[in-house]
Order: sequence, then C-alpha cells, then structure tokens
Amino acid sequence: MKKMMQFMGVLLFVTALLLSGPAAWAEEEPQYGGVLAWRITSDPPALDPAHANIVISARGANLYCETLVEISKDGQELLPMLAESWEVNEDSTVWTFRLRPGVKFHKTGYQGKPTANGGREVVAADVKYSFERLLREKAARAYFLNSIKGYQELFDEKADSWEGIEVLDDRTVRFTLSTPYAPFLAALSYTAFSIVPHEDAEKLGKDFNFQPVGTGPFILNDWKHDNEVIFRKNPDYWRKDSAGRALPYLDGVNLVVIPDSSVAYLEFGKGNIDVLSDIPNEFYSEIQEKYRDQFQSCPTLATQYYGMAVNKEPFDDVRVRQAFNYAVNREAINELVLHNTFIPGKGVLPPGMPGYNPDLESYTYDPEKAKTLLKEAGYDKGLTVTLQYNNNPRHKMIGEAVQAQMAEIGIKMELQASELGAHYDAVRRGDVPFFRAGWSGDYPDPDNFLYNLFCSDNFGQKGNYARYKNDDVDAWLKEARSISDTDKRMELYRKAEQQIVKDAPWMFLFYDTTNLVSNEKVRNIHLASMGEYQTPLTEVWKVK
Amino acid sequence: MFAYIVRKILYTIPVLWGVVTVVFFVINIVPGDPVAIMTGQRGDEETLAKIRADMGLDLPLGQQYVRFLGQLCRGDLGTSYRNNEPVSSAIWTRLGATARLAAGALFLGTVLGIAAGVLSAVKRYSVFDYGAMFVAIAGVSAPVFWVGLLLLLFFAYTLGWVPGVGYGDGSFKYLILPMITLGIRPAALTARLSRSCMLEVLSQDYVRTARAKGLKRTAVVMKHALKNAMIPVVTVIGTQISSLLSGAVLTESIFAWPGIGRLSVDSLLARDLPMIRGVVVFMAVTFLVVNLLVDISYAFLDPRIRYD
Repeated sequence: MKKMMQFMGVLLFVTALLLSGPAAWAEEEPQYGGVLAWRITSDPPALDPAHANIVISARGANLYCETLVEISKDGQELLPMLAESWEVNEDSTVWTFRLRPGVKFHKTGYQGKPTANGGREVVAADVKYSFERLLREKAARAYFLNSIKGYQELFDEKADSWEGIEVLDDRTVRFTLSTPYAPFLAALSYTAFSIVPHEDAEKLGKDFNFQPVGTGPFILNDWKHDNEVIFRKNPDYWRKDSAGRALPYLDGVNLVVIPDSSVAYLEFGKGNIDVLSDIPNEFYSEIQEKYRDQFQSCPTLATQYYGMAVNKEPFDDVRVRQAFNYAVNREAINELVLHNTFIPGKGVLPPGMPGYNPDLESYTYDPEKAKTLLKEAGYDKGLTVTLQYNNNPRHKMIGEAVQAQMAEIGIKMELQASELGAHYDAVRRGDVPFFRAGWSGDYPDPDNFLYNLFCSDNFGQKGNYARYKNDDVDAWLKEARSISDTDKRMELYRKAEQQIVKDAPWMFLFYDTTNLVSNEKVRNIHLASMGEYQTPLTEVWKVK
Repeated sequence: MFAYIVRKILYTIPVLWGVVTVVFFVINIVPGDPVAIMTGQRGDEETLAKIRADMGLDLPLGQQYVRFLGQLCRGDLGTSYRNNEPVSSAIWTRLGATARLAAGALFLGTVLGIAAGVLSAVKRYSVFDYGAMFVAIAGVSAPVFWVGLLLLLFFAYTLGWVPGVGYGDGSFKYLILPMITLGIRPAALTARLSRSCMLEVLSQDYVRTARAKGLKRTAVVMKHALKNAMIPVVTVIGTQISSLLSGAVLTESIFAWPGIGRLSVDSLLARDLPMIRGVVVFMAVTFLVVNLLVDISYAFLDPRIRYD
C-alpha cells in the first residue's frame, strides 16, 4: 500500500510537471517579428555541431543546424527532419534515408556575408560528407556511430571515405552497419550528427566553429564573445506552420551571456531577458509562484546517483550497497532540500525515457532494514565512508542531508569536495570507492543509459564508474542493442534494470527535471523533454 | 634614461621566463584531464587519445615545455583547446572591454581618491576628513559582489537610470555601474594613501617656508606639496593598473562584462592550458611594463631621481 501510494505520488508529480506550463496561447494568431533573448550562463565553447558537446553549445547549434531525424516533444518518438522517410532491413543493419526535397543551406551567413554554398539544396553527398567530417575533426561523440561499417578504417586513416555510408542518388543515402545496432536512429538525433555544407566547412576550416552554416531556422549573425551570440531569421527556411505560413516567426534569437543567476533573474524581471532556463534552486519556488502561467517544467533524461565501486571495500558486499539504498529518504531530501525540483529515483531510467519502468521493485526508506543488512554484512558497529563530490552548492546540500540520514543507521559519512575535472579524473580511474555522479541522456534510448553505465565493456571513461559486472546484465544489454523488435528490447531493458537495482552498484537518488520561465510576451514555447537547450524556437512568437 | 629602460627590459626576460615556467608546471600538476572536460566528461578512449595526441598532450612534460617555449619565442601563444581560437586573438578581443573598464575604474579611483585624500589631509580632523576616511574604510572592506549587486538593484532595476548588465553597443551608459563597482576599492586605497602622504609632506620645512613667504594655502598644496606626496601614490596606482588590466573576475561576472577576467576563469575551469598560459603571460607582461612606466614616471615627479 505504501509503495502504491509512493508510486501514485510520483505519477501525480510527473503528470503535474508535464501538464504545467502555459496553454492559453494555443488559440492566438501568431505574430511575426521580434527578437527573443535567451539567457545562457557562459560563452559557448563551440557552435560547430561536431564539437557541441555541452548544453550551452548545443543550445546555439540547435538553432542553425539540423539532423536527419528529430525527437518528438514528449521524447518518445523519432520524427523525420532533414530525412523525409527511411527504411530499415529486418536485422536493422541497413538503413536507407530519403532526404526531404527543397531544404536549402543558408544563403548568407555570418554578418550577412554570402556563404560558399550559395544557398543550394541539401543532397545525399552532404550527409556522407558531414558524417565523415566528424571523424576527420575527431569529434568526441562520433563513436556513437561506430557500428557503421568502415568506422575504424576511416578513424585510423586507413580509408579515404566511410565505407558504410553510400550515396545512392541526390536524395538517397544508405547506412550499412557492421553489427545490428537498434539505437541507431535515436543516435542520429544527436546534435553532432547535423548536416553541414562541405563548401563552407572546407573554406573556413577551424573558423567554421565561429561562422557555422546549416539549414536551421536561424543563421548565426554575430558572436560577441562572453557577451551575446546573435542569430537572425533564415528567410528560406523549409518548414511551414500548420496553416502553411513561413517559419520562423521570430526575427532572431539572442543568446545573452549572464553568468550570475541573481543578476539574470533581475534582468528577466526587468524584461531584458525573455527566457530564463535552468532556474537555480534559490529562486525556484518564487518563480514558480510569481510566474505561474509562464513557468514550465518536465522530467528530463538525466539521473543523479552516488556510485559505489563494487570492487572496493566495503562496497564489494551487496548487502552494504543495499543498506545504503534503504537508508536514504529521497522524498524528504527532495522536499526539504531541493524544493521538489527533482523526482525521487527508483532506478536508472528516468521517467520519459522509452523503457522507463514504473513498476520497478526498488528501495524505500527503511532504516531498520538497512541496519539489519549492515549487521549481516558484519558492520553491526557501523562504518565510516567518504563521499567525494564535485564542488557545487546543490551537491553539497544533498550530501549533507544524506550524511545526516546515514548517521541514523550508524554510518559515518564524510564529505569530500573536489573540483569537477579532478573529481571525474579520479572517478574514471576507479580511485574513489564512493562518489557522486550524474548522467544526462544523449538521445532517447535506454541503451544510452544502461549499456554505457552498466555493461562491463564500459569500465571507466565510457561511464561504468562503479565497475559493475553481471554476466546476465551484460548479455541482456548486448542482445537488446542488436535486435529491432522494440517490445522485446524493452523487456530486456526491464530485466537488466531490475537486476541492476537488486545488485545496487549505485545509491539511486533522483531523476532530474528541466525547466524554464518565459516572459508574458513569449508565445508557443514548449520545453523539450531532452532539456531546455533542445527547446525548439521555430514556432515561438512574441506579442508586440 | 635609455640605457636604464633597455636594462630594465632585459631584466624582465628572466622574470617572464620564471613566471611562464612556474605556470606551465603548476597547471600541469593540477588534476583534471583537459580533453575529458572539453568533451563533456564522456567519450571513447581511442578518440580522446587522438585528441590528446593532436594537442601534444601525449608528449613527455619536458618536451611539451620545450615546445611551448619555442612557440612563445616566435610570439605564438598557441590555440585554445576549448574552441580552437588563437589565444592571442581571444585576449585581444577581450582586451578592449577590460581596458575600458580598467581605465574607467582607474580614472574614478585616482580622481576621487586623490581629491578625497588631499582634502582630508588639508582639513585634518574635520567632519569631511572623518566622513571621507569612513567611506574609504567601507570601500576597502565591502565585497565587490555585494557592492555590484546593490548598485544594480538600485540604479538599474529600481530607478532605471542605467542599463543592467552586458556590454550592449559599447556605449558609456553600460560602463557606469561596473566602473563604479570596480573603482570604489582603488579610490578608497588611493584616498587613504594620499591623505597620509600629504600629511607627511605638509609637515616638511619647505612647505612651512613656502607658507611663511606668503604663498596662498591652495598654491602651496597644489604646486609644492602635491607633487612630492604623489610618488608613493603613483606606485600604488601603477600596481592597480596592472591588476585592473588583468581582469576583474567578480565585477565582470556580475555585470556580464566580456573581459579578460572571465576569460581566465572559464579557461581555468575548462583546463584550457594554452589559454591559461596565454593569459598569465599577458598579465606578467602587463605588470612588468606598468612597473617600468611607474619607475620612469618617478623622474618626472622628482627631478632628483636619476637612472644612471
């Protein structure tokens, strides 16, 4: 009954989050014009999609460039974007994409100068070029597509072109995979796999990062470093609204760099900023209350956890790991420390991720059970552990709350803050037995979480920091990525996740939510479940 | 004088070498893989190894150091790991904003500081003296982020007299609040130093003689005392120029000012080694040049100082 109530609580919360946000503008007539000011916290290091690895970069890149497929608003479906349609063979090893006709690259680019491509139509050769460019540019995420035949040869510079990508005609491109890889389509939605024109990329070389060209609704017009990234409308954009009107409605988008959150909030209040995303905890409740009709929040594909290295004492004993999970009261921490900005976690896959299992058998707050398990493991007199976390006020607050709860069952938990880079260096090397970490999804497929984080092939750098190894889980995860039957895949992921939760290599803590608040002039803005940086602005408008 | 300047410039070479050497090795000791940070803490080891090799990070540290010194001798500060931007271009782009802010703050600090200090000394133990020195102590003690936020809240968001944050179109109105925020501390320091120096000079015999000869008090203060009282003040102003040109991290962050201070912090967080080294070299050169100019300026303030 208690479990049922908790599940209902989470369900209600998630539903409320999904339903929160404005809907009143649905009936309004769109207006053209206006520039949307969107606050970012720092200058984007990269706008070239090949190197747009962090969310600030992706926010900029997603405005001017596009991928073959896109993720639906609810994050559950993959929809055509630059590809109009696709076919896949039975074992998911041959994917043939038909490109959308009439999509053109930007005719003018940075500061209004003509682009080298001259505004020509996108052809299949551009797809091949863009993907091969990723390997030549040593793009950090190109490995998502290492299942395409010929990846290694091109990577090792033993081949001049990517064997597994064939241009069949101007509008048709075929990908041949060396092994079946079910998340292939989802991976194609990742920003790095945007299509760029070879003329501009080759002409500009490294400067393509600062004067990039794509097919998107906006064109990079100016980049004033540490100040503003200014995009103007693409007048030749291919997409139309439901009434057949040209898009985008906005004349432009300015990404305004304001590092300080208090100042950003003041700027928003003054009307200088139209959209404030990733709202800091200290203003969350106030903004939610004050801007009730303009505030949006939804679960996103990210999870927070404390990893326990299963090859190190005392975490080499599953009972200790389970005891840690029973000892933490996630609901209380979320309410008292996090202002309900997170969702208490049960497992690995966050709500909104295909394969999310609401019936997952997991850990509830049960200090007595935790004590019993510790006793069975030989720690009846308690134990001392040190949690290392990357220095951040939110992580510190959570750590202190967990520390207090651990003390109740006789665990002395010391907190050790570390600088981000140093923290992850040590965690990757496996030097830290107990550590804070988080994982944000790159694309909506459970493989992106479960395979990366728990398959024993991925110890260290690739994501399995806890050095977790379970032969059954390995087999299920490998099988799930190699079959195309969605139902069977999801079944395998459910089995794997259930086993992982039972083995408890993590203290499963929270699922993240994403949020934004827009001012009263902004219409038709819909927060993306992948995160605020993916929020499309093509159909957003501002009232005058 | 010329020989002195040449000698001084030659002295700066070993100092500069010492600074870049220390910085090179210290930032390499600090844990945190620049490639992992740059790639968002995930990636396959093969790709990361290739990126490391491209950046020369796979070479032994000694070899990396020799390569770095070679680049530096050619005037090449390298290329940012973070965004492939040439380091010199990144510094140059932000130097304008930092120089404007520094010049504004320095002007404010110097004019206000000297005026308040001199008046306080002349009107010793008056209400003005006590008031000015109280404000000066408050100015030195108040944290920059607090002052900045208060100024913003009052003048930009309550009264709406000036724009809030950002560089805008580069017009003066955007400079006002950051300039005041950054200028308060130098003004306070200069005021306190000017007062004590002025008091010391005013007690000298030649000042008494000048007064005894019937010169007006203002003339004595402005023509005879001020110049001599300014020698230590100029030294302090010189060090302030160097600090301000190196970027004011907090002020730049609060006011979203696109200057060198923020560039250095972002580079540090991203372990952008070439950018960190470049910024440090720039700061070191700025300090050395400004110190040289301060030394030279002594001769103009006090003709008794010779450089032979």
